[in-house]
Amino acid sequence: MSGPVDLALGILDHQLLDSEGRRCGNVDDLELERVREGDPRVEAILAGPPVWRGRGAIGRLAAALARGRTVRVPWSEVEKVDSGVRLKQPAEAYGLGRGDTRARKLVAWIPGAER
Amino acid sequence: MKKIFEIALGILAAIGGFVDIGDIVFNTVAGALFQYQLLWAVVIGVGAIITYSEMCGRVAVVSQRAAFDAVRERLGFGVGLLALVAGQLVNLLTLAAEIGGIALALQLLAGLPFRVLLVIAVLAMGLVIWAMPFEWIERVFGYIGLALLVFAVGAIKLHPDWGGVASGFVPHADTSDLAVYLFFVVGLLGAATVPYEVYFYSSGAIEERWTPKDLGINKANAIIGYSLGGLLSFALMITAAELFYPREISPETLGSVGLGANVPLGEIGLLLALIGILFAVSGAAIDTAFSGAYNLAQFFGWEWGKYRTAVEAPRFTLAWMVMLILGFLIVVTGVDPIQVTEYSVIFSVVALPATYIPILLVANDRAYMGNYANGGVANVFGIFYLVVILVVAVAAIPLMIISNMGQG
Repeated sequence: MSGPVDLALGILDHQLLDSEGRRCGNVDDLELERVREGDPRVEAILAGPPVWRGRGAIGRLAAALARGRTVRVPWSEVEKVDSGVRLKQPAEAYGLGRGDTRARKLVAWIPGAER
Repeated sequence: MKKIFEIALGILAAIGGFVDIGDIVFNTVAGALFQYQLLWAVVIGVGAIITYSEMCGRVAVVSQRAAFDAVRERLGFGVGLLALVAGQLVNLLTLAAEIGGIALALQLLAGLPFRVLLVIAVLAMGLVIWAMPFEWIERVFGYIGLALLVFAVGAIKLHPDWGGVASGFVPHADTSDLAVYLFFVVGLLGAATVPYEVYFYSSGAIEERWTPKDLGINKANAIIGYSLGGLLSFALMITAAELFYPREISPETLGSVGLGANVPLGEIGLLLALIGILFAVSGAAIDTAFSGAYNLAQFFGWEWGKYRTAVEAPRFTLAWMVMLILGFLIVVTGVDPIQVTEYSVIFSVVALPATYIPILLVANDRAYMGNYANGGVANVFGIFYLVVILVVAVAAIPLMIISNMGQG
């Protein structure tokens, strides 16, 4: 990636897209390293309801109400950042988009669901 | 030539798609109570929806971010979630009102029991959304909704006092009950700017895969389509001013709205009016159900869009289904759909700034928008209408209480 990126505005809360261009979650939080050394680096993207706990009082409330797992995607898996954060592999490889996998069973039986 | 034809078709759909149950109720009652005096409020409402539709359409096309993508990116998780909850509650109330409106229009056309018609309405909406491609849905309901133009013909045939009509475009309050007058200002502004329109418009731009080449169509749809759609609001208010104001009647039912076309134009006028109402309100119901699903999917990062199949975007699909069912459950309890409409419009004004502010911020961000960022004109209008909406949002609930929901 070239040029500086504002992490709070430019990455956090942005759309995650997998290698096939499917939307598969949002950047719910970031894992930073070397903050104390004054040389902060993004180690990983964190997604999933438990992560919302780190997003203020409303985030804690939402995390308490929602179910789901934390997904950690190492920053090295990021292909590029444009209108969303594009990942190098399909969502399943990271455990992302599991909610859609569950919901798929509920709609797949209806005629015309794959059209 | 083909391009012009395409633009014209889009504009026609925008005109027919402008009016929903909120516009129908508030414009008709405002005309009955205050004659032409409140026409100016419609102008401001239409100006606001033009400005912010154009802006959010442009943001969606250029940055590929729909309304609630922008809301979450700009307001963050916590405040964004509050905006989502408020937006969804308003969407749900609006959807309930539209579904009720469909059933009321069907009742006037076919005469079956209201609850049976509610079931028919919801099933029909679900089937249409499931089976019809996105572009068709927009077009079909927009075009047939143009039957509402019968109110414009009716308004002219009723020979209004055109001098009085003209003076209605200059804000003035000639009334003993200022609170009721101001309540209707809020209602007319709210009805013209219901949030689902902005949510739907921005996601629609992505659904239709607009590119920066289509920004001309975006501008034309918003400016021409919504201005002409606003003419339908004027027509509804003027016919009500002619028929009900002199007789001091307050129209409480959808049937009395139909009189605006029936009296000057007879049976055929009434039939066209009811068909226009049926399709305009059905289109609005579909847009609202979609808006609810768009908002959720965008906030939580789910795959979304009618351009995806149900299997590709399953949570989005379930979301619009659940919206329809919840909307149905609200009206089937037996609440008066017209009252639900009034509440939905007033609460929508309160929720509006949470949508407008992030759109304005993103539209000004050159990192997202490059050369397509807001220019001076868009910002002058954008800030003006934001201030208006903020004032109205703060005043809405107190006015609702003081004016006793406009009952005085």
